[in-house]
Amino acid sequence: MEFEEEEEELIESKPKYSEAEKYRIFDKEFMPHVDSMYNFAFRLTNDEDDANDLMQDTFMKAFRFINSFQEGTNSKAWLFRILKNSFINDYRKKSKEPSKVDYQEVETVYNSTEDAEYESTTDLRIEAVQDMIGDEVAMALNGLPVDFRTVIILCDIEGFTYEEMAKILDIPIGTVRSRLHRARNLLKEKLRSYAKSMGYKELR
Amino acid sequence: MAQCSGNELMKEECENHEKCMKMIQAVLDGSATPDEIEHFKNNIEVCKPCVDGYELEKSIKESLKTKVSKVCCPQKTIEQLKVKIGIGLLLILGLVIKIKVIQEIFI
Ligand SMILES: [Zn+2]
Repeated sequence: MEFEEEEEELIESKPKYSEAEKYRIFDKEFMPHVDSMYNFAFRLTNDEDDANDLMQDTFMKAFRFINSFQEGTNSKAWLFRILKNSFINDYRKKSKEPSKVDYQEVETVYNSTEDAEYESTTDLRIEAVQDMIGDEVAMALNGLPVDFRTVIILCDIEGFTYEEMAKILDIPIGTVRSRLHRARNLLKEKLRSYAKSMGYKELR
Repeated sequence: MAQCSGNELMKEECENHEKCMKMIQAVLDGSATPDEIEHFKNNIEVCKPCVDGYELEKSIKESLKTKVSKVCCPQKTIEQLKVKIGIGLLLILGLVIKIKVIQEIFI
């Protein structure tokens, strides 16, 4: 659904760039984000080939609909939005990820367990987080359902503001805030179990 | 923190911790409103669960930012992409030439 909206929005725009300008904009505004885009695609799909395809599809789409991009505006957010929509529409269905849980469903579940969740995350110690290596943090992140993983990637790894995230994800800022909050509680849960296993190793 | 203000002693319990944590996260994320930043500055030291929460969130955020390795786009992918975009240009040019040829023939 989101995709159709996007296509409409993209198609409606009037051509304004010459062929030479298109190439210049593509090179100057889009290509510098190629690593961030690939990283995002890889963290979403957890698969190199899928990340490869997803990234190329996104750039092809960006080029095809370049007239709907206003030069000088936030090209990174614009590209991330296209990538996210392509992922939802083209990759999510065939993705190798096992559990496909609906946003609403997940958010309802975590709403009802908010208190219990908080109690159980209090014993995660800062020292344990600081001692963790990147792979452990990355594994905890990868273990999150994709919608929660996405907000953490956008916010903490890519450094987007809530306003930018709202645009990329097509959700209100309030939803960005609560989804992030829930994502972080889930992440703390994961980190806590890693911390526990680390402690176990140390005792042995 | 929304609920914790004015006490000289640090509070051991936070009545509204979820709301506080959302605000603390917004501050750490650089997306808090001026009101929230003001409230944060005035109240962060009053509430122990919020101080702890702040420190933990900060450390997790830093770990995500600095420890999780960023995967770079393979050079092969960039080259494939450039070829695809290049082909796109050729097709457009081809089409333009065709149209011009057709126009020249018929006009
Ligand atoms: Zn508080």
